[in-house]
Amino acid sequence: MTLRANLSAMLASTRMRLLFVSRYPGQLAMDIIVPIVLAALPILLGRAGGAANAEAVFEANTGTSNYVAYLLIGSSALNLVTNAFWHMAYWLRREQELGTLETLYQVPTPRIWVAAGTALYSAVRSVSTTLIAFWLGCQIMHVNPFQGEVALALLFILIGLVPLYSLTLLFGAVVLKIKEANALVGLMQWGVIFLMGVYYPITIFPPLVKVLALLFPPTWMTNGVRAALLGVGFFFGTWYKDLAVLWAFMLVTPWLGWWVFSRVEASVRRNEGMGQF
Amino acid sequence: MNSSAPIQVNNLCKIYLTRQRKGLFKSQKTTVEALKDVTLQVTAGEIFGLLGPNGAGKTTLIKILTTLLLPTSGEAWVNGFHVQREENKVRASVGCMLMGERGLYWKLTGRENLEYFGALYHLNPSQRKQRAKDIIDLLNLDELADRSVETYSSGQKMKLAFGKALVNDAPLLVLDEPTNTLDVPSASELRVIVRNLNKEGKTVVYTTHIMNEAETLCDRVAIIDRGQLLALGTVNELKASLRQDQVTHFEGAISSKAENALRQLPEVLQTSRSTQEGKAILTVVTAGDKGNLPQLIEILTRQGCVLQKITSEEPTLEDVFIAKTGRTLAQDTSVK
Repeated sequence: MTLRANLSAMLASTRMRLLFVSRYPGQLAMDIIVPIVLAALPILLGRAGGAANAEAVFEANTGTSNYVAYLLIGSSALNLVTNAFWHMAYWLRREQELGTLETLYQVPTPRIWVAAGTALYSAVRSVSTTLIAFWLGCQIMHVNPFQGEVALALLFILIGLVPLYSLTLLFGAVVLKIKEANALVGLMQWGVIFLMGVYYPITIFPPLVKVLALLFPPTWMTNGVRAALLGVGFFFGTWYKDLAVLWAFMLVTPWLGWWVFSRVEASVRRNEGMGQF
Repeated sequence: MNSSAPIQVNNLCKIYLTRQRKGLFKSQKTTVEALKDVTLQVTAGEIFGLLGPNGAGKTTLIKILTTLLLPTSGEAWVNGFHVQREENKVRASVGCMLMGERGLYWKLTGRENLEYFGALYHLNPSQRKQRAKDIIDLLNLDELADRSVETYSSGQKMKLAFGKALVNDAPLLVLDEPTNTLDVPSASELRVIVRNLNKEGKTVVYTTHIMNEAETLCDRVAIIDRGQLLALGTVNELKASLRQDQVTHFEGAISSKAENALRQLPEVLQTSRSTQEGKAILTVVTAGDKGNLPQLIEILTRQGCVLQKITSEEPTLEDVFIAKTGRTLAQDTSVK
């Protein structure tokens, strides 16, 4: 069993899922529309209720007066996190319910490669639709999407995706075990979204909640993108220190995710089996 | 272990933990013994039938053999590979059809499904395409191959699921009730394909709760019920083990004198006359197997009888199942 054969199987998994979603064009449209709407809601609220010095207040709290781009970045990051959770954790549950999960356990390709193929599919889909949504949102709300350091922002996204997907795998394992996908994925997803500061800087949190927020990689990813594009400031002052934290997450979380997943998987196979739902 | 055997199972046990609901929030843990000390061996080149009602433990056994479940105790080897220590080698060496039509991606086409599973079995892209084409040709799926599986009939989905089991061209095929939901001609066609694949050298493990299917297709049969292996052998061996009375029908011109002569034989228990479609038939019940048939024929011909047709009633696997379990398979399955 070669690395090349496993890589080929991984890419086939990615391709298969892209083919699959291509037969649901409505879902792709939703991926693009939802982040724009989620950003539009607070933007319009701000315009309706903001005082004359609203932008100055916003800048004092966040580090930028460009609240439109700030909120669009937040809703785009939310889109990435939401998709990651649903595509991975719910994917396992859905495969289990459809009956195809057992089929995936009958093949010699190790599950980590199939999971990696699914994560790659999700990342390709999410990043593509999120970038389109961000660009479109900027056009609709008349802000420049290419301000600041775009390459650095993309780097934060790409590195941030690895720990994000590792967390979703860990969480998917829990879903497999307790067989309660919707409520669990929803709870976890909204918990992370609350902590990562979609619409606000995490500096406004009480100290304990702030520490909790900093334990989640999406918080660093979102702030990194905002700092790169809008200059709101990195948590540690410089981009490379913040990126180093994301790197550390990237090195640790895949092992943690896979370890938990393997343990849960063994436990499930010892009892009722992967296909039992 | 016997490394030459495609399947070797030693003292396999499987216990599930399950919860029994007791009202709104209460539940109680209970255990289910799905397999009890099962030992068997499948030999190369045979079609091995696993026969039993729903819930007998057939699927649990093959799920362990295909690495989907871990046994509670005991050991098993598939194609010489240990099912727990060499999982991926086991998987590569077995073609499985376990979930029927549920093992497919319905939003993809039949061809896309076959090519995708080809990739997961480590075929390179050109091999995948060729293998998918070969399977589509073998199963006469040409007209459906490029349509979404969701548009297939249930029988067509089962056929494709069977095709998926052939993707890795494994020496061992494990088929779990593959003719479920197939109409009679399609089921018959699939059995012919299984038989042909077996002639080409593939070993087949075939689970079914249809007696006739096991009887006509399988070289050896294991009867499983409530997790226990109750009987194992060739169909003829299992039938012979019953040692039940033999019933033979003689059609033709048979005199009363000849009938009386038969009655003189100590092994003849009973004779009776009847007519079917205007033809006179003498039915003779003898103790033991068919060994005394030549003697009966000799007596009748010596008495001047003209025999046009001789038929024997053979015991069926259903009789074997009843003898081993005390129940009929049909009743058991319908109750479940």
